Amino acid sequence: MPNFQPYLQSPLVNFNLPAQTVPAEASQKVRANELPLMGYIVLRGELADTAVAQAITKATGLAVPTACRFSSGDAGVLIWQSPDECLLVTARNYVPALLAACTEAFAGLFAQAVDNSGGLTTVYLSGVEHVTLLRHLGVYDFESVTPGDVASTVLGKAGALVCRVDGDGVFLVIRRSFADYLWLLITKAATPYRFAVAKLPAAGKSPFLRLVDAGSPAKRPVAA
Amino acid sequence: MFQIHCPHCGATREEEEFSYAGEAYIARPANPEEASDAEWGDYLFMRKNTRGWFWEQWQHTAGCRKVIAVKRHTGSYEIAGSWTLAEGKEHYLKESEA
Ligand SMILES: [Zn+2]
Repeated sequence: MPNFQPYLQSPLVNFNLPAQTVPAEASQKVRANELPLMGYIVLRGELADTAVAQAITKATGLAVPTACRFSSGDAGVLIWQSPDECLLVTARNYVPALLAACTEAFAGLFAQAVDNSGGLTTVYLSGVEHVTLLRHLGVYDFESVTPGDVASTVLGKAGALVCRVDGDGVFLVIRRSFADYLWLLITKAATPYRFAVAKLPAAGKSPFLRLVDAGSPAKRPVAA
Repeated sequence: MFQIHCPHCGATREEEEFSYAGEAYIARPANPEEASDAEWGDYLFMRKNTRGWFWEQWQHTAGCRKVIAVKRHTGSYEIAGSWTLAEGKEHYLKESEA
């Protein structure tokens, strides 16, 4: 057997964000930082079918969101993507149990849950000019994204889910393969706004930030 | 550039979020085994290339990723409406009968 030792690292690892992180201040008009190594589960199934919707709620404890909205709770954030697809953003540690619960609840239904934790990451973008920055990056009418809304759109050349929890900032759920490109794009476009890689705010009740605190296996060595 | 209403997202979005997916409602020969080469060739390759009102497909690639039906004027770019494929087909068939 070759000595294959998989390890887990953020797609933004080369930017060394933890070393650049400074305390958040009002003078930073645009701030960003990553919520690294969270869990992402894709749920497929006709959401209009009550049996599927009930199974999702049973397995996750979350209400199935309506179009272009998200719901949240202890298990994480459930984002509407399409009439037959939702994305569950959760803590990496929660993934195995949630996946098992979904698979069990979907038995006999035309529905499926798939772990996509390796494919996505999340960036928190905040500061008084964060909406201005989004306008630099994409054509969507970003001021119309109100708390509880999610806009699935393009930033530069890459797709992103723009989720707003409150007026302070937005959570961008982006592809791992485009994370590097988007991070460079954000930092470059944000240069005039005293950009800073700022410490993430205290999780409090934030449905996204709580998931980082809930822990990821990266914080302990990966067994060989 | 224009804006397209996505019936699945229930929102009007920029063209940039969509990908063009060609002419809509091309009927596949009911019995491919018995179709002549000319009929099959028509189905595969021949397109209307209309100047005027045209039924076409667009995919909301950056959003819900669904393919939708759009009735668009290829000269003026005016859009008469957009529908899910099933809903659009009713309108399309009604028009083709008329
Ligand atoms: Zn859509």
